[in-house]
Amino acid sequence: MYSEMRALLSLNDKKKTGTAVKPVTDELFLPNFCGVRMVLALMVIAQLLAFVLSLGQMGSENRWKDLSLISLFIQWAALSCGAVLCLSRPWLRKLPNIQAGLLSYLLVLGVTAVMSEAAYWILQGAVMEPPLTRAWYYGFLSRNLAISAIVSAVALRYFYVQHQWKRNIESEAQARIQALQSRIRPHFLFNSLNSIASLTRSHSNEAEAAVMDLADLFRGSLREARLRVPLSEEIELCHKYLHIEKLRLGDRLQVRWELEGLPRDALLPVLTLQPLLENAIYHGLEPLAQGGEIVISGAQQQGMIHISISNPANPAAGAKTTGNRIALDNVRQRLHAFHAKRGKLIVEHSNGTHRVQISFPYLSKEP
Amino acid sequence: MNVLIADDEPLARTRLRELLTEIGGCRIVGEATTGKEALEQGVSVQPDLILMDIRMPTMDGLEAAFHLAALEQPPAIIFTTAYGDHALAAFEAHAVDYLLKPIRKERLESALHKLQQLNRAQLATLKQAGGGSPESRARTHLSVLLRGNLQLIPLESVIYFKADQKYVTVRHAAGQVLIEESLKDLEEEFGEHFFRIHRNALAAAAHISGLVKDHEGNCMLALQGIEELLEISRRHLPEVRKRLTKG
Repeated sequence: MYSEMRALLSLNDKKKTGTAVKPVTDELFLPNFCGVRMVLALMVIAQLLAFVLSLGQMGSENRWKDLSLISLFIQWAALSCGAVLCLSRPWLRKLPNIQAGLLSYLLVLGVTAVMSEAAYWILQGAVMEPPLTRAWYYGFLSRNLAISAIVSAVALRYFYVQHQWKRNIESEAQARIQALQSRIRPHFLFNSLNSIASLTRSHSNEAEAAVMDLADLFRGSLREARLRVPLSEEIELCHKYLHIEKLRLGDRLQVRWELEGLPRDALLPVLTLQPLLENAIYHGLEPLAQGGEIVISGAQQQGMIHISISNPANPAAGAKTTGNRIALDNVRQRLHAFHAKRGKLIVEHSNGTHRVQISFPYLSKEP
Repeated sequence: MNVLIADDEPLARTRLRELLTEIGGCRIVGEATTGKEALEQGVSVQPDLILMDIRMPTMDGLEAAFHLAALEQPPAIIFTTAYGDHALAAFEAHAVDYLLKPIRKERLESALHKLQQLNRAQLATLKQAGGGSPESRARTHLSVLLRGNLQLIPLESVIYFKADQKYVTVRHAAGQVLIEESLKDLEEEFGEHFFRIHRNALAAAAHISGLVKDHEGNCMLALQGIEELLEISRRHLPEVRKRLTKG
């Protein structure tokens, strides 16, 4: 009951606030034969089979003639199989994988039988010396069915294994993204709670606002890591986070936003900017007694979105503290997971300024 | 009891102030926003107790406590921290107690109570035991007690350490002082920023300006900010050359 409710809740969440990447489902293992690529692959495989069969014929007088006839037949048979599987796909995908596999196997054998029958009629119509006998027809049909049975069994098995392999890869990638789920630092949580405890006595309104911000921030961090949200939503979350930090740090924290040039609907992995801001504060501003200014700027260039966060660096500690690297690696790996090589995170350290830039392609809806 | 509050967050200081007022029996004699300020006020105001946040800018609470332990009558320290990863270090620094934020009034009350229960002798041993550098991290400052005053020397201003019999001379940008620490310990703690150039000397990597030969053909080290040249022993020369070319 509880898990159902949770599933329902998270579904609602998704509808309202973002779109998730396609989940792993128990979909049909057969590739889509309606696609151009699959048709081409089918033709290549059919031609290879034709070569094998014509090479295998003993004591042939004219190999070229054999090859052309065999090719013609096999190409027709293979393309017809492809067409039948393409047309029956809407029904096949409703069935469990085993039944769908058996059914498509029978369909392929059926198509082979029909094609053999058609070939027999055509050959009989043509002038053949000596004329084709009934016995020849049965031999022809049974040989074709046997070859088709073996080849399609191997092919189906191959499709099934490949499908399983792809599914494993996908679920591994998703598990990785899930594990990379951004976590809010305990240091921040407990310090914020301490600030709120202090505010409740004299400034109850501010305390209330801080509790609301903290709640939203945690709801954000509990969301599924494979979720992508519009930039506007991530910015709002950052504002809430900064509001709490402002309570703690007062005037030591100054923030300048320069994101006017960015489309607000650009999708990015949930909690991408917030950990970078948290890093800038924890490693940059907090160790400085006088604090400093964090600048968040962005630009859009050739379909790519670039956002950079810079902060005055703490001169005493090197930039390469472990905590820092973990948070950066986390964001970097999630950008990679979503955008492959086009998702980037670059760290620069110059003239007392620490700068982190993230880049990702501009997408306003899930591909 | 005179109490000093050290925390870089204004709201955290407010909370402690309010809790102490409610508990009563304490007089707040000062507030510090960095470890260095806590140390300076700890020397000038001489509180009985410092409520010390661990993570503070400029100098952290653990290091401030370490320097304070050198005073003749050091204040008792109660650490306050947001997250429990410094507990061990805090006990190594021989704090009276260790409070987790958000701080509970009852918890603060019992810590104060515990402090009052400790008699003078117990406090004295607690304080004397506070030796050794905080955690395994390097200090950011060296402290020297001069006629009851604690002098702080930022590590980046140190040009070299030179051992002489029982003491080590610290030559820094604004003069020189003697400290009672061994060169070996100093090298272990600050080895990242200092080169061993001789059996009796460590030089700050950041202050090195170059190698020169004197009229007898000995290799000498020139350092920024001072005229004096330091001898590099034959044994340490290859290592010094290697690190200089690498940097």
